[in-house]
Amino acid sequence: MAVLLRPARGSSGLLLAAFLCVLFLVFVSASSAGRDVVSGNNETRRDPAGGVTEEEDTHKKAFPVLSFKYNHVRKPFEISLWILLALLMKLGFHIIPRVSNVVPESCLLIFVGLLVGGIIKAIGEEAPILDDKLFFLYLLPPIILDAGYFLPIRAFTENLGTILVFAVIGTLWNAFFIGGMMYAVCQIEGAGLGGVDLLSCLLFGSIISAVDPVAVLAVFEEIHINELLHILVFGESLLNDAVTVVLYHLFEEFSHAGTVTVVDAVLGVVCFFVVSLGGIMVGAIYGILGAFTSRFTSHTRVIEPLFVFLYSYMAYLSAEVFHLSGIMSLIACGVVMRPYVEANISHKSYTTIKYFLKMWSSVSETLIFIFLGVSTVAGPHAWNWTFVIFTVVLCLVSRVLGVIGLTYIINKFRIVKLTKKDQFIVAYGGLRGAIAFSLGFLLKNSEMKYMFLTAIITVIFFTVFVQGMTIRPLVELLAVKKKKESKGSINEEIHTQFLDHLLTGIEDVCGHYGHHHWKDKLNRFNKAYVKRWLITGERSTEPQLISFYNKMEMKQAMMLVESGSTAKLPAIVSSVSMQNIQPKGPSRRRAIPSISKSREAEIRKILRGNLQQTRQRLRSYSRHDLFMDPFEDNVSEVRFRKQRVEMERRMSHYLTVPANRQETPSVRKVCFEPENQVFTYDDSESPRGPTAQPHPSPADAVSLLNESPQRPNQSKAQRSTGGDKTREKDPDEQEEQQKLSRCLSDPGPNQEEEEEEDGSGRS
Amino acid sequence: MGSSSSNMNHIPDAEELMQETGFSSAHLLRLYERFEFLDREKRGELTPDDFEAVGRLALNPIGGRIIGAFFSQGQETVDFASFVRILAHFRPADTNRRDGAPQDPANSRTRKLKFAFQLYDQDGDGMISRVELLQVLRAMMGIQVTEEQLQSIAERAIQEADLDRDDAISFDEFKKSLEKVNIDHKMSILFLR
Repeated sequence: MAVLLRPARGSSGLLLAAFLCVLFLVFVSASSAGRDVVSGNNETRRDPAGGVTEEEDTHKKAFPVLSFKYNHVRKPFEISLWILLALLMKLGFHIIPRVSNVVPESCLLIFVGLLVGGIIKAIGEEAPILDDKLFFLYLLPPIILDAGYFLPIRAFTENLGTILVFAVIGTLWNAFFIGGMMYAVCQIEGAGLGGVDLLSCLLFGSIISAVDPVAVLAVFEEIHINELLHILVFGESLLNDAVTVVLYHLFEEFSHAGTVTVVDAVLGVVCFFVVSLGGIMVGAIYGILGAFTSRFTSHTRVIEPLFVFLYSYMAYLSAEVFHLSGIMSLIACGVVMRPYVEANISHKSYTTIKYFLKMWSSVSETLIFIFLGVSTVAGPHAWNWTFVIFTVVLCLVSRVLGVIGLTYIINKFRIVKLTKKDQFIVAYGGLRGAIAFSLGFLLKNSEMKYMFLTAIITVIFFTVFVQGMTIRPLVELLAVKKKKESKGSINEEIHTQFLDHLLTGIEDVCGHYGHHHWKDKLNRFNKAYVKRWLITGERSTEPQLISFYNKMEMKQAMMLVESGSTAKLPAIVSSVSMQNIQPKGPSRRRAIPSISKSREAEIRKILRGNLQQTRQRLRSYSRHDLFMDPFEDNVSEVRFRKQRVEMERRMSHYLTVPANRQETPSVRKVCFEPENQVFTYDDSESPRGPTAQPHPSPADAVSLLNESPQRPNQSKAQRSTGGDKTREKDPDEQEEQQKLSRCLSDPGPNQEEEEEEDGSGRS
Repeated sequence: MGSSSSNMNHIPDAEELMQETGFSSAHLLRLYERFEFLDREKRGELTPDDFEAVGRLALNPIGGRIIGAFFSQGQETVDFASFVRILAHFRPADTNRRDGAPQDPANSRTRKLKFAFQLYDQDGDGMISRVELLQVLRAMMGIQVTEEQLQSIAERAIQEADLDRDDAISFDEFKKSLEKVNIDHKMSILFLR
């Protein structure tokens, strides 16, 4: 019983807080009206210099210990309160799992917005509406930037043709079909819609036809659908912005002018190309600028994320200045900037960028949906049954027809065809959202504006509520492939690159300039010219596989540190056979560090020093410095821990220690004992195995110990080539893994026992 | 494409080839034209020099291996039938199987993977050893990478893929490590459909 009460109390506490927040908000907006008058008087009396007023006053007031000066902070206060309310709501939903499993978050947020709007309206106050400036300039860019920066490029470019067809032709089809059919509907006698002419209908069609990225993201995020479908619908929602912008402006201009000529239509087509390509170009320029700037930020790491955000935002705003497609500009900027910026910035900045983008986009999304709800309650409506119902029906019909027709054509050109299930999801996932609402809000003609707005809101509600809620059970029902959770695999990366080269070669043999040919050309161009300018230092020549590999290592290392393994720092002497290894290239900043004995001592010293230094640093706090913590400098320590985890994993497989091993000499081996003790020994020195020199470690920790203090000469001799500087490049885990693989693959004398354990492994 | 029927007569065993590989007659013709273009000395066969005349193959890190794949064991020349058979591996998979089609067509997933595997496994022992993997990595990454880095990557790759711990990757392990990759997509050239 107590268990049940506790979560209930938690959620009810939260709801109580949210409710109080709402009440406070309402009270504040109500009282601010009254406050205006009072503070006005106070202001006029304080206008002359403060001291003079008080002297002149015969009736001296007591010095105000506590005063109420709300107007001063009114605007930021209300904004913060709104955002806080939105986030508390979001928090509340996730505490109640039953609801959030059935209803997508966007629906709940709209519902909350409706409630709040209703409360505010009931009090008789003016509710804030989602006006277009707020939406387009502040709320939309973070979401688009978040989407564009983390766009999966490979999937996107592979399906670019399909996405473009859906985005351009699909949206055009939707717009004209809905517009035309609505005009036919308006001709029906008795509907009272006679005043709506063709151009207005087309304008309405163009507003309502665009699939909305915010709504798609909000719903698709939760159903974890497979990458192909996700990128198709999402890519379409991003790229159709250009079409929407052009159509909207086109029809709006003409609805004032009255007639459309062929010249205008041609100009419209030209305008489309200008808008889309211009937007992309603007974004690309800012992206290159951003990448170039990030090349020089190695001394001011703190402000690195800001460059990414500001350049992207400037790209968006610049595109909006010229009426180009701001969304495409933002996407292009993020896509162009990302590979170069990520090569230049520190790991911390990368994390910062990731989390800030996610945070901002989350807040924006929440606010958008809440404001949608509030605006629904607040705005003046003109409900017309015929218009609204036909709009909803036609939206569905045109979407389905469009998807089916286009897929039939597209499938002729695709290798991996779209099945009927895919088509259904693509059609069903065509959600409308706040962009349509804001565009409707921008309409100047007021007689039909409210009717349009009502219809738009109805469509949005229908798609978000009905389609949003039912898409998850439908996905389950149709057994659509879900997103596979796969960690990066170095094998896949190697083989994928290999296959890319293979296909490029085959295409060359066939004399065919295909997909791979152009990709290869782009990569070569990138490597030869662009990378040199935009990436600092030696990383500009780093092959992609190495970056991938480093990233994977880093990720694993981070995971290890976060999991808080407590083993002490081991030390390994590298005893890898060093046949003619010539160090190539200068030592890099992010080279895989080696662990030699002296280095291990260094590391210990640095760690100790830094831990003490932290206390000192705190006294002289500077806002501009990120103090170097030992972690970033000493990834080596973390690598050990990673290896330790691997070994712990494998420990359970091995119960005995192979005794005699005559393998390549001077390879250190790691063996395991059931009591979680780890011994190391050198084959050349002690063929008897662990019985010779046991170095037991604590029961719950595994560590690789170095026993070469007794034999410093030998280990130094083994390390002789290259000297300490080249040690920098020795990968410690390379030898670790060699050890492991030797140990694990070694037949050894205990053949039968090993075979038992390996029985499952060997085919 | 001109008088395709008369041109088809030039192609030896055209019917059989079409049956075996699944190419249509238009494709076969196109490939024959390409074959004749590459065969500068008009011998009816291709030598490695003819392949190397394709300039872009020289830039390809595994260009040499690709050329080598066309020439089966010990042969010095490639005739048209072998040329077509190799290229048949890269056809996109047929969604609707014709009745007369062979049971294991050249463009099945297994056959495609086998072809790629053989490019890795130069000595033909059925396993990709560490040395062979290192060679491929070195070819793909050029001179900017140190030996140690290559070693560690190869080490990690073998560790991930090598399930029976024999320090080499067999064909089954190779297949398994690529099970999440859409091979049909990655190893198909559209125009060869």
